This record gives sequence, C-alpha cells and structure tokens, in this order.
Amino acid sequence: MSFLQVDHVTKYFPSHSGVGQVCVFKDVTIKIEQGEFVTCIGHSGCGKSTLLNIIAGLETMSEGGIILGGKEVAGPGLDRMVVFQNFSLMPWMTVFENIRLAVRAAYPEWDRERIAAHVQKYVNLVGLKGSEGKRPSALSGGMKQRVGLARAFSIEPKVLLLDEPFAQIDALTRGVIQEELVQMWMTTRNTVFMVTHDVDEAILLSDRILLMTNGPGARIAEIVDVTIPRPRSRDTIIEHPHYYKIRNHVIHFLVRHAKGAHGGAEGAIESAEAGDPLVVRF
Amino acid sequence: MNGHDEHRMEDERSRRGAELSSEAYFARTVEQSVVAAVLRAAGPTRRQLLAGLGGAALAALIAEVLPLGRVTAFAADPAGKPEKRDLSIGFIPITCATPIIMAEPLGFYKKHGLNATVKRAAGWAMIRDWAINKEVDAAHMLTPMPLAITLGAGSLPVPFYMPAVENINGQAITLHIKHKGVQTAADMKGFRFCVPFDFSMHNYLLRYFLAEGGVHPDKDVQIRVVPPPEMVANLKAGNVNGYLAPDPFNQRAVYENVGFIYKLSKEIWDRHPCCAFTVSKEFATTYPNTFQALFRAIVDATHYASNPAHRKEIAAAIAPTNYLNQPVTVLEQVLTGTYADGLGAIKKVPDRIDFDPYPWHSMAVWILTQMKRWGHVKGDLNYKEVAEQVYLASECDRVAKALGYPTHTATSTKHTIMGKVFDPDQPEAYVKSFKIHSMA
Amino acid sequence: MIGVLRGQPAGRLDTWIISGTILVIFLVIWHLATIRGAFDPRGLSEEQLQLMEFNGDIVRLPDGGYAWNPEKEKVKGVPGPLAVLKKAETELTEAFVKKGTNDHGIAYLVFYTVSRFGAGFLAASLVAIVLGVLLGLNRSLYRAVNPYIQILKPISPLAWMPLLLYTVKDPKWTAVLVVFMAALWPTLATTAFGVSSLRKDYLHVAAILQLSWIKRLFKVILPGAAPTIVNGLRISFGSALVAVVPAEMLLGELGVGYLSWIEWNNLDIAGVIFAILVVGVVGVILDSGFNKLAGLVTYQE
Repeated sequence: MSFLQVDHVTKYFPSHSGVGQVCVFKDVTIKIEQGEFVTCIGHSGCGKSTLLNIIAGLETMSEGGIILGGKEVAGPGLDRMVVFQNFSLMPWMTVFENIRLAVRAAYPEWDRERIAAHVQKYVNLVGLKGSEGKRPSALSGGMKQRVGLARAFSIEPKVLLLDEPFAQIDALTRGVIQEELVQMWMTTRNTVFMVTHDVDEAILLSDRILLMTNGPGARIAEIVDVTIPRPRSRDTIIEHPHYYKIRNHVIHFLVRHAKGAHGGAEGAIESAEAGDPLVVRF
Repeated sequence: MNGHDEHRMEDERSRRGAELSSEAYFARTVEQSVVAAVLRAAGPTRRQLLAGLGGAALAALIAEVLPLGRVTAFAADPAGKPEKRDLSIGFIPITCATPIIMAEPLGFYKKHGLNATVKRAAGWAMIRDWAINKEVDAAHMLTPMPLAITLGAGSLPVPFYMPAVENINGQAITLHIKHKGVQTAADMKGFRFCVPFDFSMHNYLLRYFLAEGGVHPDKDVQIRVVPPPEMVANLKAGNVNGYLAPDPFNQRAVYENVGFIYKLSKEIWDRHPCCAFTVSKEFATTYPNTFQALFRAIVDATHYASNPAHRKEIAAAIAPTNYLNQPVTVLEQVLTGTYADGLGAIKKVPDRIDFDPYPWHSMAVWILTQMKRWGHVKGDLNYKEVAEQVYLASECDRVAKALGYPTHTATSTKHTIMGKVFDPDQPEAYVKSFKIHSMA
Repeated sequence: MIGVLRGQPAGRLDTWIISGTILVIFLVIWHLATIRGAFDPRGLSEEQLQLMEFNGDIVRLPDGGYAWNPEKEKVKGVPGPLAVLKKAETELTEAFVKKGTNDHGIAYLVFYTVSRFGAGFLAASLVAIVLGVLLGLNRSLYRAVNPYIQILKPISPLAWMPLLLYTVKDPKWTAVLVVFMAALWPTLATTAFGVSSLRKDYLHVAAILQLSWIKRLFKVILPGAAPTIVNGLRISFGSALVAVVPAEMLLGELGVGYLSWIEWNNLDIAGVIFAILVVGVVGVILDSGFNKLAGLVTYQE
C-alpha cells in the first residue's frame, strides 16, 4: 500500500448545455510513496487542477477514492495543505498573521510564544525576515508565494499539494524560488504532488512526472522517472545526459497531444487505450 | 333675538323662579344616562320596554339592581385625594387652549394639588392618537372630536368625555391680502381654504358661512386640512387663498403682512364653542379624584381667563417657546381684542375671544346636525343621547358652583347662527331645512 | 496663492485660504442683500405707528423712540446673516437649559436626535450584517429572499411611519424604528453581496485549515467582506440621517428635526437656518467618525 493513493478516480461535470455529463478524467490511479515528489503535466483544461483539488478535498470525485496512510480521506484537512497559484493570502493580515493563522489551526494546544517562534522560523526560512509586518499588497509576486510556501511548510502536512505555484511569477524569480523550494523540501521530505506546465520545473523538482492526456476523458498516459540524482540545481542538471532526453520526450508528448486537444483522431486513439500508464525510464 | 341674549334671559328666569338645585339636576341626569344606556342595550325591544313601563318605573326597577344613589354619590365625591398626581396634558399651540396652557405657568394645576405638564403636539391627528394611546392623560381637542371619537368616526370608537369647553369665539376667516376686494361668500367661488381638521368648529362654521352665501363647500370651493401652525406659511406660499383658523394664526397672517381678517367667527355665531378639554371615560372612571381635581383646575383657569383684566398677563405667560412660541404682541392683540385688521385699521372687539367652560348639550346637538349634514356621520342618530353622554354639562356646573362661579338652569338652549334660530329639540328638522348639504 | 489661480496644485494653506474667501464673499453678499436703513418715524401718524407696532415691524425703545424690530429682521422674508448669528448666540448660550416640557436647550436636542439615530442605526446594522452573512453564505436562500429585499428596499422609510405608529403606538419607539427601516436595507443588500462574492480561495484556505465556524466568520468572512459591508453601512448611514429629521417632525418628538419644524411654524426663518446648520454640523461630525471606522477595515488586494 503506497502512502498516497489516488484510486480509480473518475470525475464528471454536468455539461454546459444541461443535458448529460462531460467526463473530465476516467479511472485515474496514482501511487505515491512517502517522501516522493511527483509532478503532473498536461495542457490547460486537461483536468490536472481538478485532480489536485480532489486530492485536497476541495472538490468531490464522481467515482473512486483517495487513500492516505492507509485511511480513506474525504474533504479538506490539515494533512493535505495546498499552495495556490494566486497565492491566496488574506490581504487584511500581515505576512506573520497569515502564517500564524495556519500554525494556530494546526497546533491548537501550543501557547503564544511557541507559535510565534515557529512562525518566525518559517519566515526566516523563506528569506522574508524583516517583512513580517507587511501586508500582501506591499509584496511582489515572488515574495507572496514565499509566504504561501512558508504557510504550507509550517504546518508540516503529510502531503503538500502545489497547484501551478509559480505560474504567476516572473520567469527570473521563478527559477530562484524553484531552487529555494527544492532546498526546503530536501530538509523536510514531505510527500509532494505538484501540477504544472513548466517542463523544466518538473524535471528540476520531481522524482516522477505524470503525463496527462487531454480531456474530455483524460487519463495518465505515461509516467516518466526522472533519473537525475539529487541534489539538483538549475545549472548542473542541464549538464546531465538524461536531462534533454527526458525533456524532449515530455515535449513531444505535449505537442502530440496539442494536436489532439480538440478531439481529433489521434487524441481519440490515445484515450481509447485503457490500462496502466506507460512507464518511461531513461 | 340672538343666542347671547337668550342665555342671559334663561339665567335671570331661573334665579327668580323655581330653582332646581344642581345636585338634584345632576342626579336626574345620571339617572337618565343610566336608563338611556340600559335602553340602548335592550336594542329593538326598547319600544316595548318603554311602552310597558314608562321611564320612571324603569328607573325604579334598575335601582333595585344598580344602586343609582351610590353611582351618583361616587361620581360626586368631593375633594378626595388625587390618585395620580403627575399628569401630561396634550395641547396644540393655539389661543383656544389658553386655559389649559396658562394653568401651568400661572399655577392653577398646582393650586388644585396636581403636578401637570403640558405637552405640545404637531397636529390634531397626533393629539387624537396620543389621547387614544394614553400618551397623555387629558387633551385639548376640538369640540366635535370627543363626539367623533366616541362614535368611532375616523378612528376606533373610544368613549370620551368633554367636561369643559375651552374657549368661545376666537376664530376668524383670514384671506390673502390680494383678495382685499372680496365682499360676500359668492366672491369666494373657486377658492382654496384650509381648516385645522375635518371634525372642527372651523370646518362647520366655514361651511355654514359659505352655504348661507349660496356656495357649496364640497363643490364650489376646496377645503383642505392643514395643521394650524402651518397655515400662515401656506398662505404666504400661495397654496391657499384663505382659511378659517384658530388664533393666533389669523393675527399672525396680519403680522406677517400676508393676510387680512375678513370676518371674526363671532360674527357668524356669537359665543360659539371652539375647543374643548377632554379626557377618556377610562381615565375619569379609573382616577375619579384626579379627574375632579383636574376639572376644578380647568374651570378655575377658564373663569380667570374670561376676565378682561387678566388678558395681558396671560398673553405674556403663554408666549414663550415652551408654549405657543409666538411674539407677545400677536397674542396681546388676540386676547385683548384691540388689533390691527390687516387693511390699515385698528379694531376694538373685546370679546373677540372669550372663555366659558359650560358645555351646552345644545352645542353638541348643533355639531351633530352639521356632521350629519355634511356626511361625516351617517345613519340615524340619537342626538340628545350622544350629546349627554359626552358633554358633561351638569358636572361642569357642579364644579363651578363649588368654586363660586355662576351656574346654569338648563343644559340646552336655543342658538342663533347667522340669523337663523336653532332649536335643539328639533335636530332632524333642522338638518333637513338646509338646501345645501352633502347627504346622500 | 497666485500660483493656484494660475493652475498650479494647491498647498494645504492655499486650500484653507480659498475656502475662507468663498465663505466671506458669500456672507458679504447675503448681508448687503438684506440690510436696510434705520427707521425714520417722521411723516407717520400716531395710529400708523401703533399699527406698525402691532404688526411687529417696529418696536418702542426705552427712550420713547422707534426702531426696526430685530425679531422681524427680514427683507422679503429672508433674514440677514447677523440675525442668524444672533439666533445662534441665544440658542448656544441656553444650550443646556430645559425651559419646560416643550423647550429644551439645543445640546439636549442634539443628544436626543443623535441617540435616536444611533439606536436605530446600530440595531439595523447588527440585524442587517447577521442576515446578510447568512444570505451570502447560502446561495439558494439568497436567491429565494432577494426579490423581497428588492421590493422593500426602495420604500421610503417615512412611508412606514403610519403603520409603525399604529402597531407600536409609542411615538418615541416609532421614530427609532423609522431610522431602523431606513438603515436596514442598504447594509443587508451589500453585506449579502459582499459575502457571496468573497473570493473562494479564502474559503478554501479556511476549509483546509479546518477553522471552526466562529473562526471562519471572524477571521475570514467578515474581514474579507468588510470593505463592501462598510460601503453598505455608509449608504445606510446617510439614509438614516435623512430619515431621522422628518420622522421627528411628523411625530413631534424633541430633537433637532423638531426644532427646525417648530421654527418654521413660527416663521422664524433665522431659526430654521440655524436648525439646518446644526443638522449639517451633526451630520458632518457623525460622518467623519464613520470615515475613521471605514479606514480601519479596508484593505488592498
């Protein structure tokens, strides 16, 4: 039994016209071990964010279940913390208060001093020491997401769910934060499930990359093992021989599925293939 | 012979001839009221009852069950301690309420053992609501109002008493200065008038005056209801051509150089009743001693006010913002009767306003006939019975006698209005005698 | 100062100078339009003088002479600024005096009006915010109740007065309820809207953190919807302030509105102007207090 298991999850949405339903994805099964960093890549609209929300408990599944640590979970909880694409910081609270809100919720029996120390530790960890008193409106995108990361890490969740966390951050800052994330994760080794469409990011951060086909009726078509040893940094991994093999493979997949994105012939063939995803290892 | 002289003659006759003591008269009135009440309760069988028994026998029968003697005595309990000392009395800021208002600053309430304050209302509807909802213990009202409220016209029927009339005369028809040339009622066709309230002597006198001049009040002119304090402003703004209003608003129009006094109300019906002092029947029966004390204070104040020597003093006492909120000179002109008429002359009419508390039953009957005439009250009316229930004429005389003021021998008398005699014993005939009316 | 006239931006002092100048010019014009020369009794007969005295146009001075009556200081019915000033002086010096049941000093009147307004406004705000939050959180309930809100919202609060007086019977409570009816609807509508349009993300975070409903209400929903709620309160505030004055007039309850009505009845225009100014000043003070409150709860996204 893996630590986090997405077990034959299917999701339907009521169709726009009101008649019948649209299948977003069907029969998705993912097995994630504890301490693994898994990324899901696919085109916009394939349903990967929906899948993440289902794992987080923010959306319901039509069929199947999510099993965490041997127990089925439903609904949101502190064991599966989300880092949102648009940061989702409470704008009326300062950096400190935003993180403290989470810490207090996770550790209700702690006293004020302990909570404050814990919060400060994570503020420092993300490099925002000195900015605790600022409101989110006074922060740049990168700084805001650092707060988001601090908030998520500070409650030491069983699973960390990252929903395209750096999509709204400028390209230069993005690289810096990605590395910071890797550093943080290396020390805590939470189980992570991330969704993104940045291939380089996926390769830098993950142990495995799930490739998702397009909807409707999307499925995990392939699982790519990222066989580049850790620790990884942006300037070293590009030297690794597997890097471009993996990268090119993923890009080919995405391009292939771009053509079939609107239900063309190739897409139909792909989604008709049932069964376990293809494991790719270089 | 006008009503004024008739009253005088009646008083003279009674003093010389067979004099009924007020006590006996009062007792008989109570008896009659109780009998009348029983007969009314008897409903359709009343004719058979009377035919079989006759009034006196019926009274004796009732006395077996209801000790009439005790009822009379209870109602006539003198100088008992007031049950409730702190009273609130509503008033509208017009000179008609002079006795009610002046009783506070000039100490009449205190003199009779009461701690009463007078509370100013914005308009008649408000005072009616205060009285019905017991916001105030007693109220200044227009003489038709207690009749209307008891009959349930225009509100819920709640039995009210009118123990005393506040003032007689004291109103006038004021017109905008641009209508200087108007001579008769006929010249006023198409005018817009205002009156303080539908059930008011102002309304009924205005209508009487117009009708005598051949003008139909509901067809040839418009009559609107406007609270007295707003009348001058309305005249100034040109919303109305004139009004029949209580003073000081007639004099105030002259003071503001917008109007002139066309006709004093005493020229329509000399010594006509205007405003009233009223209490609910519930108040009078729940607090009989307080009621008696209040009654005495009012009658006392009224007689004091009727003395011309006191008028200037009174004008100064009721002028401040807390009471009438009018310039003293306006009130002096109204109360002393030496006034500017708005057409450049100074007139001297000492009884322009006068104060006499006696609530003649015949006045009530006249009001009821006019209410019937203009459709304010429909159906058959027992005029005398309603008048006697509401207007406490004999009570008033008893109080007057106790205070040493003159009394009367009868509760009804004939009145003359604009030259036509009114016989209170023939109300239906009177109502039917008018060419101009609004009955169906 | 000259720079301002040339179009350059104004400094703090400059704005005060301009405001002051506008006021002075206005007062001067008003004064000049309403002054008249001293009274000259020559050429008038004894009777004419007595008539003018009766009409209150002139008063007799202690030395036997005559002068224009300062109480009637009007030209074409409009008093000059000095008359208003004099009225203000009398009223303010007697501000804390109670001269009778119907004549309380201006300080008392302001107190009555403000307390009436405060009671009605606070009660309405509380009810509106509670109901608004409930409706904002429950979409189907909101849709069901919204039509009734839309129908009742535009009804003038004074139109409720006769009905309220008839049922409640007490004019003091009726006045407070009129203010309540005026202040209820705008806050209710905006609160419901603000809560329902709160960014779902915040609620998601609250859900993940497993916040209790109290924590969720006070730490997320209310602060999140606060700027919208405060906007609603601001509209309600103005609406209630507008309603309290005529409510007092119609119900005859002592207060600043009552004062202006009484002065109008007495055709004391200087008094009416004074009363209006008092209402204005009270409104400004309450409003600025409110703005301070609003400043505390707004945030930028």
